[in-house]
Amino acid sequence: MAEDLNWAVGGEAGDGIDSTGKIFAQALSRAGRHVFTSKDFASRIRGGYTAYKIRTSVDEVQSVVDRLDILVALTQRTIDENLDELHEDSAVIYDGERSWEADIPDEITAVDVPLKSLAEDAGGAIMRNVVALGAACELTNFDVEYLDESLEKRFGGKGSKIVENNKEAARLGQNYVQENYDLDLGYDLEITDNDYVLLNGDEAIGMGALAAGCRFYAGYPITPATNVMEYLTGRIERYGGHVVQAEDELSAINMALGAARAGARSMTATSGPGIDLMAETFGLIATSETPLVICDVMRSGPSTGMPTKQEQGDLNMTLYGGHGEIPRFVITPTTISECFWKTVEAFNYAEKYQTPVYLVADLALAVTEQTFPPEAFDMDEVEIERGKIVDDETVDEWLDEQGRFRAHADTEDGVSPRALPGTIDGAHMSTGLEHDELGRRTERQDERVQQVDKRNRKVETAQEQEDWDYREFGDPDSDNVVISWGSNEGALVEALEILEEEGTDVRVISVPYIFPRPDLTEDVEGAENVIVVECNATGQFADVIEHDTLTRVKRINKYTGVRFKADELAEQIEEQLAAEVPAQ
Amino acid sequence: MSSQSDVRFTDFKSDKQPTWCPGCGDFGTMNGMMKALANTGNDPDNTFVVAGIGCSGKIGTYMHSYALHGVHGRALPVGTGVKMARPDIEVMVAGGDGDGYSIGAGHFVHAVRRNVDMSYVVMDNRIYGLTKGQASPTSRSDFETSTTPEGPQQPPVNPLALALAAGATFIAQSFSSDAMRHAEIVQQAIEHDGFGFVNVFSPCVTFNDVDTYDYFRDSLVDLEEEGHDPNDYEAAKEVILDADKEYQGVMYQNENSVPYHEQHDVTEDMSEIPDGAPEDAMDLVREFY
Repeated sequence: MAEDLNWAVGGEAGDGIDSTGKIFAQALSRAGRHVFTSKDFASRIRGGYTAYKIRTSVDEVQSVVDRLDILVALTQRTIDENLDELHEDSAVIYDGERSWEADIPDEITAVDVPLKSLAEDAGGAIMRNVVALGAACELTNFDVEYLDESLEKRFGGKGSKIVENNKEAARLGQNYVQENYDLDLGYDLEITDNDYVLLNGDEAIGMGALAAGCRFYAGYPITPATNVMEYLTGRIERYGGHVVQAEDELSAINMALGAARAGARSMTATSGPGIDLMAETFGLIATSETPLVICDVMRSGPSTGMPTKQEQGDLNMTLYGGHGEIPRFVITPTTISECFWKTVEAFNYAEKYQTPVYLVADLALAVTEQTFPPEAFDMDEVEIERGKIVDDETVDEWLDEQGRFRAHADTEDGVSPRALPGTIDGAHMSTGLEHDELGRRTERQDERVQQVDKRNRKVETAQEQEDWDYREFGDPDSDNVVISWGSNEGALVEALEILEEEGTDVRVISVPYIFPRPDLTEDVEGAENVIVVECNATGQFADVIEHDTLTRVKRINKYTGVRFKADELAEQIEEQLAAEVPAQ
Repeated sequence: MSSQSDVRFTDFKSDKQPTWCPGCGDFGTMNGMMKALANTGNDPDNTFVVAGIGCSGKIGTYMHSYALHGVHGRALPVGTGVKMARPDIEVMVAGGDGDGYSIGAGHFVHAVRRNVDMSYVVMDNRIYGLTKGQASPTSRSDFETSTTPEGPQQPPVNPLALALAAGATFIAQSFSSDAMRHAEIVQQAIEHDGFGFVNVFSPCVTFNDVDTYDYFRDSLVDLEEEGHDPNDYEAAKEVILDADKEYQGVMYQNENSVPYHEQHDVTEDMSEIPDGAPEDAMDLVREFY
């Protein structure tokens, strides 16, 4: 891989850290460089410590590493929090005129730039972060002109004067470093002709929903899922859709359910605490056979947990949650671009099988921005499958002798016809009570068994008819199999490179489907070492694999609230390869 | 869809026999709902009835239309979703006092605020019937039940006042036994441009020996006969807050009601979508340049 640069800006919440980082990330993307961003943030509006980190290379980057090359520090705490990652070629940009006395270790290059004064020269102190961006450009031999486009994008709405002032601020920062420091840190950000788009997982989910024809979204704000709702607001209307901010998650999922019964492609998104509330209605969605996509962007739990931290702790909740036995699909995109494609799939499965679909992402996917070629989201590839919807003519095939619509007809594949409101002679009821084919309450044993079997048969049909493949990386013939689900894929792929350099061959299986899921029995049985990697303490997916394959597996679990990093994963995989297999 | 003249209210009746106790107020409440739907030109294939949980919740089974019998207390959000996705469909939400004013009270307040163009009929019997006689949020303070031997010792919820405080545009009350007036009032709720709320006295003959048919017959004051002007907010406030009398009629109607779909321009049939991604979908990708 080509040389990468790791850059960060940090300060207090309220310092504009996020937008500053985003401006630089966009500039790098416009310069044809790959970008992978991550955020350190807290659940507060002001104060504390927050940082926006960028890893950039001309090659694809899909993980964070434990190394920081350039740090823009607006507070001493920013320096302290990142000391471990700074090294002798690192530079810290700070404002020596501010009240704090920067305490920076001698071996690290301290670049004192009067950010505030220069910003005032350009038109206002508010632009001090942009001055710092200009300074960062100088330290990395990156043409400051690339900042212009992202400044226009960020500030264009505020008028050309503001844009020009910001451009000037960037140049003042660059010039200051050029004139006052004679530094060569060896960083040289190469430019390419490639076109990239830069987006995060929440945005990819929202865009996937629009591509798939989602027209109704109801939700309640919650970190880290709110961005899905914010993305759709203002865009879904262009296609005749609507976003409602409900009074709570109980309401949100029921609104989404109502819209789905009315025939709209409908979804809600939330995080763990919201999933708990939505579980109340989950069984109803399944028994009334309503197509609905429920997105869970996981964060650290239980309870309020660590709301702004990473965890993959909701696997059991989405796989088993709810009283009674509830047929469902559980889909877990493994990358940001897959967040898009799996959302499209989720809508198709929901309608084809009239079954609720959990689309399970996590904080690491949601708040990370990554570059992709636009073709990664080729809209011509989007297929819409709506399943067995009847119209005024075909409805007749599904009426009983008394002319009543059999909304829950027992069919070979388990899927019943679906009449949307307004369809002549399609009127029917549906309910969370056990019901007969007409949707009317029953407690007859034969009808109960018929309906339970029918609903479960839909999942069996899907299991047979659809692809539930995993993604595979590394050496396909290796005896060392590492299994992961969700967002760990990027870090694992990069860990593979490190392991390869060390002479360790590994086969990585990245699973985007928890239910139905690929059968890994042969892969597990045929391997000498099987390690399951996940961001939780108990190994929820490892348990599932052991259950499926009746084989003990090794586990790598991380539940610090921080995602896996490639170098740490490589190290832990080596450790596990050397460790004993747990007793049967 | 049948034309208006073809539709009779019995078209809204399913062939399932109600399991309500003989004499239950819900029979009359349902009949009035069916008449009101037929009188407003609806038919079963363009009507969606959402029901909650409880005796009242069974109404979806006994009526014939598109219907969902959902989770306890969440009928209003379901109705909201149906109506937003399909403005062409007549949506009627039905529930009981427990469903609407206890477990679903939060949704009630917000449904009122949203002013979605649908009707909400609450069968208020001031008791939990299906669980065999416990206090409901509208039970009298001294009403003795199996779980409140001394009575709840809390004031009952005044759903009309709750609606008024939340900014309701249509507030009415009816009595299931006064068949003609009840049907008229529900019809007005349907015709109202916005959220039409009707609290219906629907006596429970098995578990409530206080709020009986006789009690309502003797005490009910019809606002129409009193010359009440429903467009007069102050007059509405007065009758709604009057704890000494039981009123029937439309208490309040805001003539300037702007329903949700007009306020937010939600007018499309959301069930219609293209076979693939929207034609301009690559523009969504380009936004991320």
